[in-house]
Amino acid sequence: MSVPVRHKRRIVLSTVSSDSHTWNLVFLQLLLEEGGYEVHNLGACVPDEVLVEAVRRHRPDAVVISSVNGHGHLDGARMIRVLQADADPDVAGVPVMIGGKLGIRGAADADLAGELIAAGFRAVFTEGADPADFGRTLNELAGAGALTADEAVAA
Amino acid sequence: MSAELRNRPAADIQSYVEQAAQEGRLVVQPRMGMSGPAEMAAGLRAVAAARARTVGTMTIDSYTRVEDIAGARAALAEGKHLNGFPIVNHGPVTTARVAAATGHRIPVQVRHGSARPAHIFDAMVAAGLSASEGGPVSYCLPYSRLPLAEAIPAWADATRRFAEGTAANGLRAHLETFGGCMLGQMCPPSLLVAISVLEAMFFAQHGLTSVSLSYAQQTHPVQDIEALAALHHLAETFLPADVARHVVLYTYMGVYPGTEAGAGLLLDTSAQVAVRGGAQRLIVKTAAEAHRIPTVGENIAALERATRKGREALTEECELPWARQVDYETVYTEALALIEAVLGLGPDIGPALRKGFATGLLDVPFCLHRDNTGAAQGTIGDDGRLRWAKTGAMPLPAHSSSTARAVTSARLLGMLRYTADSHDQAAAALDAAAPYRIAIVGSGPRGLSVAERLAARLQGEHPGRDVEISIVDKVQVGAGRVWRTGQDTSFLMNTACGEVTMFSGPMDDGPVRAGAGPTLAQWWSTARPADYPGPDAYAPRALYGEYLQFHLDAIETSLPARVRLRRVAGEVTGAQRDGGTWQLSFADGDQLTADRVVMTTGHPVTELSADQAGLAAFAGARPQLRYIRGDSAADMPLSGIAPGARVAVLGMGLSFYDVTAALTCGRGGRFEDDGHGGLRYVPSGREPRLVAGSRSGVPLPARGRNQKGPDWRYTARLFTPQRIRALRSRGPLDFRRDVWPWLDAEMQLVYYATAVRGRYGTEVEHAYTDSVVAEIAAAGADAAEQTARQLAERFGLDLLPPLDVNRLARPFAGCRFDSAKEYAAALAELITADVEQARRGNLDGPLKAALDVLRDVRGTIRLAVDHGGLTAASHREDFLGWFGPVSSFLAAGPPMVRLEQTLALMDAGILEVAGPDARFGADEDAGAFAVSSGQIDEAPQHCEVLIDARIPGPDLARDPAPLTRCLTRAGLWTSWANTAGGRSFDTGGVAVTASPYRPVDADGTAADGMYVLGIPTEGQRWFMQVGSSRPGPWTEFTKDADAIAADALAGLRQTARTRALEGANR
Repeated sequence: MSVPVRHKRRIVLSTVSSDSHTWNLVFLQLLLEEGGYEVHNLGACVPDEVLVEAVRRHRPDAVVISSVNGHGHLDGARMIRVLQADADPDVAGVPVMIGGKLGIRGAADADLAGELIAAGFRAVFTEGADPADFGRTLNELAGAGALTADEAVAA
Repeated sequence: MSAELRNRPAADIQSYVEQAAQEGRLVVQPRMGMSGPAEMAAGLRAVAAARARTVGTMTIDSYTRVEDIAGARAALAEGKHLNGFPIVNHGPVTTARVAAATGHRIPVQVRHGSARPAHIFDAMVAAGLSASEGGPVSYCLPYSRLPLAEAIPAWADATRRFAEGTAANGLRAHLETFGGCMLGQMCPPSLLVAISVLEAMFFAQHGLTSVSLSYAQQTHPVQDIEALAALHHLAETFLPADVARHVVLYTYMGVYPGTEAGAGLLLDTSAQVAVRGGAQRLIVKTAAEAHRIPTVGENIAALERATRKGREALTEECELPWARQVDYETVYTEALALIEAVLGLGPDIGPALRKGFATGLLDVPFCLHRDNTGAAQGTIGDDGRLRWAKTGAMPLPAHSSSTARAVTSARLLGMLRYTADSHDQAAAALDAAAPYRIAIVGSGPRGLSVAERLAARLQGEHPGRDVEISIVDKVQVGAGRVWRTGQDTSFLMNTACGEVTMFSGPMDDGPVRAGAGPTLAQWWSTARPADYPGPDAYAPRALYGEYLQFHLDAIETSLPARVRLRRVAGEVTGAQRDGGTWQLSFADGDQLTADRVVMTTGHPVTELSADQAGLAAFAGARPQLRYIRGDSAADMPLSGIAPGARVAVLGMGLSFYDVTAALTCGRGGRFEDDGHGGLRYVPSGREPRLVAGSRSGVPLPARGRNQKGPDWRYTARLFTPQRIRALRSRGPLDFRRDVWPWLDAEMQLVYYATAVRGRYGTEVEHAYTDSVVAEIAAAGADAAEQTARQLAERFGLDLLPPLDVNRLARPFAGCRFDSAKEYAAALAELITADVEQARRGNLDGPLKAALDVLRDVRGTIRLAVDHGGLTAASHREDFLGWFGPVSSFLAAGPPMVRLEQTLALMDAGILEVAGPDARFGADEDAGAFAVSSGQIDEAPQHCEVLIDARIPGPDLARDPAPLTRCLTRAGLWTSWANTAGGRSFDTGGVAVTASPYRPVDADGTAADGMYVLGIPTEGQRWFMQVGSSRPGPWTEFTKDADAIAADALAGLRQTARTRALEGANR
């Protein structure tokens, strides 16, 4: 069995400032760790500046934002503006994806995805998204040469 | 606290709960928080009024929770609805007033979720409130980023200030620990119990003498009872003796079942666990909560359901063990080890808690707060118990985590959903096994008709589950109030017995059963052959009641296997939606659960109008006077009227005949042949003297002698259903302009055609009819009277008086009489002529045949009118104001013998008719009721008794029946308003959908699983007071019943389907 020479891909996992839900974050952390990623989970109600500092400190390959309180589209758009305005190009340029229950209108929230992409997110997952799709997209975002899930388990 | 609040303290929560516990009652409490004071007050008022021992909840909004008072103010200024009550912004006076909406009958607890609660406690003290909840750990770790190092001192200070401030108000501060609810799910019970006890000790250490200890329902009810037992034991051990306490259980706080039935089942389990585990208070959850903020009504339903289940848990029906019966060693030992480890870190609980978390001695599974070590994990064992997968550095016995598997993301999802899924599945399984229950409220003819169609439809079926049909009546099951069997036999039906049946099909060679049975005449002739007078006779109502009971017996004996009929005597006083079912509550406290409810509650007894109340009060203040309100004659207290008393009778419709019969024949008088083709009254001497009056001054004319056989059906030629449908498709109609001319044309046609037939026979009649119809169809209905008359005149029928319904309805309009005597003579002549017309029959007599059209085309009139067919103005003025009374007067009359009797009673001096334009008033000077006529020059007559002989119509706003009040208060029943054509008017009848007639609630939504049929829906539908069907093809009476039966049974076939939660997609 080969030992991967590459470092474990690193993820900062966060929610938005107004969201106190954490089970989504707990689940994603387990899922990502099972996928071979190193996860820094920032917990509930993350202020924008806490996220920026975490990115500055951990230098992640990608940022995953999860929100389920319905304010994700508002808080998320603001959060990514702050992140991309950072003077440090590594911070401003980190690929960010967002997912969860992002609006309060259920199926009518489909149009929010386009707005969030326009705001700077690299991928948006709304309710009912396929987890496999999430894994593939993250794999691409976190950079070529990232471990596939199978390789990660093997490692 | 301001001075004005000082003398109105809220109830002390601990004393209240202790009192309830002594009475064996579980206290239940909702989660509830509204932005506006009025809404919050209304919610609290409803909780206080619930049929349960409740505590009110005032939940704070999320701005206030995080001390963002400016944010709350800005949101309020923008008119936004916050997700809770902004107690700081509203201020003490408003807050106190809102809390006072409970009438101080129940305590109010403020719930908030704040990691730094001083501002909330200060606002509570100012408002005179004394009960809240939370904890330095439980409101910090799960939801906040605040370090424990800040939250703990903040709570210490706030708690002390709260205790002191409340004491200064003369009240006892109470805090409930939230530590038993950490993260809602997946935290094993021993840690929940330990944190709950430690937080209670923290409260006590900072000055509280009254606390409650929480624990949230987890995955296994017996394990939860063990946890509650351990919590009691440890609280006893560790809390100072002078701290009063109780234990509170939270209904499951994790992922909630998606079906209403599953959610209901989980609530039921929590109530049972609370009672069996010795928790004195339960915080409930509604089925809606997982999807949206529940309504007040849903909260009340959950509180009442939990109360019922809690009461049941005291009985053998509950299979769960009592706390004293369980072995709680495991949870006790673990929790004790955790508590002792923390207490070993120092004498002050606050700092000790902080060290405990810092060192990992306390470690909440799956908690992401940075002060939590995060090395521990919970898991659900194969037996459904919540266990440790990893214990981290906690001082727990090694065996605690030995058997568990590691938690993967997929397994975590399964565990988070475990309780939800298992309850949804259990509910589906129960649903399949439980009987399908249909309740019929009101067992008069309408209710029985539905029961009959249910039974007929179930015949030959092999339902896949048990079916239970409950037929409920508060007076007599199987007859109802109006047709009850015990009543005076002088009260007669209004339809010839040969035309009456309750069976939806004729007798055949098979047994009498649902769908095939005798008419009233057929039954009478065999059941009471000695007094059976033939199919054209009118049966006593009491006899019809016996026939109805025979009908119900036949229904019952024809039910197939697995279907059961229950006869339930009692008054239903409430009906509430509860998950997928309806909960009916009875006056005596009984309950009945039903999947479908059919409301056939019949005639209401409405509150008196202002005029009526005035007359009643006049009598009430004078012992010599009596006022008898309008109602079914059988329900009037007539026996108390003294012989010879002077009795005013208001109204001369059908009830007038009943009242008159009861006070004459019912008192031993009798009628005999006068030898001249009429009747003579032989008094008993016990009769009072009657003075009757009405607007027309004429008793209801007789219905023509019945010549129409049971199978006779009228086929209209001009007023046809096709024509009315076509007219109606153009939009709301004007009754006088669009509808009445065709109905009048039909009557004119029959009037003259009958006369033509009388002289020349059927063939000529047909020729006459065809030519009239052709001419009117071409020329329009407006010329109908002229066309029909002129064509008839060509046949030499020129002596027939014109048919004018207005003249017939008010024969004395515009006349004046010099004396009562003169009027009596004119009236006697009119009645004699009417009897003569009635003798000629309803087929051969032109007048009565023409008027019978009004009965025969009732279905077509309904086509034009029902469900908003007329403009509002025409509906009110033309139809209800003019046509309704006229057609009732002309076509709903009694058998002609009643008119002959009336003449005889007038002759005998027992009855006097006051005259047209009759006025009934109170004569203060004479101390008596006064009756006079606006058209007779005669002094008023004075009477000691006034009987209102008019049956009150339905009016939701004036119906005091508890059931009606309950349904209207809940917004489930609303009164139907005709809004067509600009001017709206409220009919007072229940708003329903088209067949199968579901009630339409305040939001315009049809209530699932309930139907309303008959008199309560009068308004949107017309002429609902039909008490039977007739032989032959189905009438609307049977069609309505069948449509409801079909819909009610549709639910039986959907057994396997689990219902999606209502409102989930709103």
